[in-house]
Amino acid sequence: MSKKEMTCIVCPNGCQLEASFENSGPGLQVTEITGHLCEKGPVWAEQELTHPVRTVISSVQVDGGDLPLVSVRTDAPVPRNMIFDVMKAIKAAKTTAPVAIGQVLIRQPAGTGCNIIATKNISTRIS
Amino acid sequence: MEKQYDVCIIGAGVVGNAVARELSRYHLRAAVVEKESDVSMGTSSRNSGVIHSGIHYKPGTVRAQLNVQGNAMMTDLCRELKVKIQYIGKLTIAQDEEDIQTLHSLKEQGEANGVPGLEILDAEQMQKIQPGVGGIKALLSPSTGIICPYGLAIGLAENAHANGVDFYLSHEVSHISSTGQGFRVKTVAGADLSCSVLVNAAGLYADRLCRMLGITEYSIYPCRGEYLILDKRLQGSLNVLVYPAPRKGGAGLGIHLTNTVDGNILIGPSNEYVDAADDYACTAQIIELLKKEGHELLPGLSTSDFIRNFSGLRPKQTPPEVKGFKDFVIESRKDVPGFINLVGIESPGLTCSPAIALMVRDMVAERLPLREKSSFVAERPGRVGFFHELPPNEQAELVEQNSDYGEIVCRCEQITKKEVLDAIQNPLGVKTVAAIKYRSRAMMGRCQGGFCLPRIVQILQKDFGYRPEDYILNSAGSRLFAGSVR
Amino acid sequence: MNTIKHDVVVIGGGPAGLAAAIAARKNGCKDVLLVERDKRLGGILNQCIHDGFGLHKFNEALTGPEYVQRFIDEFNSLGIDSMLSTIVLSVDGKRNLYVSSRKSLTRIEAGAVILSMGCRERTAGAISLPGTRPAGIYTAGAAQNFINLQNIMVGKKVVILGSGDIGMIMARRMTLEGAKVEAVFEILPYPSGLARNIQQCLHDYDIPLYLSTSVIEIHGKERVTGVTVAGIDKNFKPISGTERYVPCDTILLSVGLIPENELTRGAGIAIESRTSGAGVDDAFMTGVPGIFSCGNVLHVHDLVDHVSDEASLVGEYAVRYLDGEIKTPESYIRIEPRQGVRYVLPQKVSGMRDFTLSLRVTTPSRDRAVWVKDGDRKVARKKLIRLHPAEMIRINIKKEKLQGAKMLEVSVE
Repeated sequence: MSKKEMTCIVCPNGCQLEASFENSGPGLQVTEITGHLCEKGPVWAEQELTHPVRTVISSVQVDGGDLPLVSVRTDAPVPRNMIFDVMKAIKAAKTTAPVAIGQVLIRQPAGTGCNIIATKNISTRIS
Repeated sequence: MEKQYDVCIIGAGVVGNAVARELSRYHLRAAVVEKESDVSMGTSSRNSGVIHSGIHYKPGTVRAQLNVQGNAMMTDLCRELKVKIQYIGKLTIAQDEEDIQTLHSLKEQGEANGVPGLEILDAEQMQKIQPGVGGIKALLSPSTGIICPYGLAIGLAENAHANGVDFYLSHEVSHISSTGQGFRVKTVAGADLSCSVLVNAAGLYADRLCRMLGITEYSIYPCRGEYLILDKRLQGSLNVLVYPAPRKGGAGLGIHLTNTVDGNILIGPSNEYVDAADDYACTAQIIELLKKEGHELLPGLSTSDFIRNFSGLRPKQTPPEVKGFKDFVIESRKDVPGFINLVGIESPGLTCSPAIALMVRDMVAERLPLREKSSFVAERPGRVGFFHELPPNEQAELVEQNSDYGEIVCRCEQITKKEVLDAIQNPLGVKTVAAIKYRSRAMMGRCQGGFCLPRIVQILQKDFGYRPEDYILNSAGSRLFAGSVR
Repeated sequence: MNTIKHDVVVIGGGPAGLAAAIAARKNGCKDVLLVERDKRLGGILNQCIHDGFGLHKFNEALTGPEYVQRFIDEFNSLGIDSMLSTIVLSVDGKRNLYVSSRKSLTRIEAGAVILSMGCRERTAGAISLPGTRPAGIYTAGAAQNFINLQNIMVGKKVVILGSGDIGMIMARRMTLEGAKVEAVFEILPYPSGLARNIQQCLHDYDIPLYLSTSVIEIHGKERVTGVTVAGIDKNFKPISGTERYVPCDTILLSVGLIPENELTRGAGIAIESRTSGAGVDDAFMTGVPGIFSCGNVLHVHDLVDHVSDEASLVGEYAVRYLDGEIKTPESYIRIEPRQGVRYVLPQKVSGMRDFTLSLRVTTPSRDRAVWVKDGDRKVARKKLIRLHPAEMIRINIKKEKLQGAKMLEVSVE
């Protein structure tokens, strides 16, 4: 059996978890998780041990907007090892004002199954 | 291509600029050559900003005479140039009997130099002027003042420029030769100038300039003084300048508090010889020492009141093992005809600058005919002080006239967009971010540009088309940014 | 000059000001005016594009712009007045404001004033960093502005001084945008920011965090060329022999936030040295009747959710003040921080209403309880598994518990 100390990132509490598990890789089996203040902790820890995911946050270039960039995020967490693949798609993208919060700017970057959505309203620049 | 001038001045510090401005009254072709990207980038901007009375110098010395003369010239000069000056006076404090003797000899010396209004005060009189001040007696010198040192240097340069003087900024002198009739000056950036009279106002580099002309008798030893700048919150805690009575062997005037015309208080300067003429680093040891002194001198000072540290270098002629002072060298060289040499202009060089300019003018007159220009305009446009210093009614009027006055860009110093735009479009054409800072005071407040730098960057981008790579702090290598994100 | 009158004037359109204005309107005040210096509402959250906001309030992990847009939408739907691109030049003790915009300089007579100006970052000058002053030294927040709002990259090889949350978030942000973040250095023996940010902003990207380590000298004449770092002892002095040179072209500072209380001081309101904010009572009223304070200008929060909650209360109290329901009581019950407590807020209470006590501890610890006592009498007690200076602790206290109380003392035991 192996043990691992982990910091839960679900909320600002940042609980220090201790996970006990058997095997590694795809066959990893969690046996016990301690240190959590809420029930999201164990769920997150198991995910983190087997298949860690993160929400990717960045900006997409906007033409003709009151700001040159629109902030964006993935609408669902993506596998942690794909963060930089998603970033590649974000860096290559470009959109045009106006942009509304929630608007999908990139569909399924890097085959992740998630979308990149705007997190800010951008209005058209009045020059 | 060679450009011809009557007079070339090397160095755009306060002395070089004062000389330039004085000479701009006459029918002369004059140029100022400066290695930095802006005027007043060395000793002239990095000091206490005090206009001294002249009590500290031996009667008969060049310094003593120029100090008292320069002090008396400042009122008119500052009015013409729209530079803020306040004659707030100074107390030199005695802590013991020996100090009292020093005060009496300073008073005698000052009176011999022609310093007006000197008075020895007892403790009670001192308290009336500066409540809470320590010490048993004090010498009051009412003609001591404070000024924005770079404000004066910039004002002189802009007025000289308006009256026809050319400024070669970012032009480091690479070569000087004496041609018999005059001089040939070449710069790293490719300027090629000739002139009949050459003025060495190179400050920390004056000895190097001398050596380019084969004059080897001078050496400059940079002596660093570090300062801490305090938050404006403490404005009003100091009515007058307070200095300790000088003790033997000191190279400066001792660590003290100085109010600035803009409402900050400075702690400093320290005294430490350094090797390089551009070593402006601040050190942990001195910062700690200054903080300690600050807490002693200013009860009520809190750690969050320190907003910035900086240092300046005194161009001293005395090496570390000698210390002390040596009189200014202001000479028209017989061995190199036409070379007017200014060496070792340390404190009180700021105060002396307009008087030095008169001396240099007279030296120039020995070689070139000086005819006054009827077109000379002594007044610099604009007004003294900042928008935020005006009463609300006048502010409201200005906003009506020009909406750029209504937009505050720098929150801490309440500097308006109009003032920032004026600084960006400065007459000397300096494009650096530091130029905006020194002219408008934006970025000089307690948040040190945290709030207004992004706004100024935006103004430069939107109104002046700056790209990320165009923003430089103060020299070509000091780019602010690495490029675009996208 | 134009003079106008408003019942409630809110200074600042960030999360605190928005929530306060909304609450004032919802509590029946029809004449609320919000003054914001930027052209956009939302304050600093406009540049905080990372997620993690709103977990308490909305049970969702929103980004800063998404979080604040909810408030902006509500503010707009309530039809509350605002003056954008307008800066408050001064406030006096009689609740007169001078405000400036491109249109005019205006005098405002306010019935009640809510101060919600937020905070600013400590700078290199404020912490008196030794060395040179080349280009390339930014506060983390200024860098965040350039990168997230202005499409400008501040540097490529970065050292971060201070383990505040903004610094760690910028470490991740710059890494994602192609910069190399060499390390984060923290002078204290423990991190200043949240544990989750150490994981998701630093560990995820293999960025080392060095505790009890600081930058002791900046190098570079024109642009930053590197820093000397060293281990720091208990007395905050560099440990000789531990110095090492780290090449970099950029230094980001995340060394603390300071409430922006210059207007507050100008109004003659006393500032508490422990919070660097106004001293307030249980209605968040400052020493000047009718002037209230909330959000980061009052005390620096770690969660915007708490800012919104606090500001909502303040909006309500401001209206109740105008209705004559809130007055300065004849005497207050003082609240004093004792062992293990850095500050408490409010610093005094009327005893006439329930209130939430906010506090921060001085040092990290585990399995302790925060006690609120009146002499030997227990007023409240909160048990905590983990206590950390970076995490604000909040304890709800009922007015019934305050009867006859003389002074409340708060300690960690």
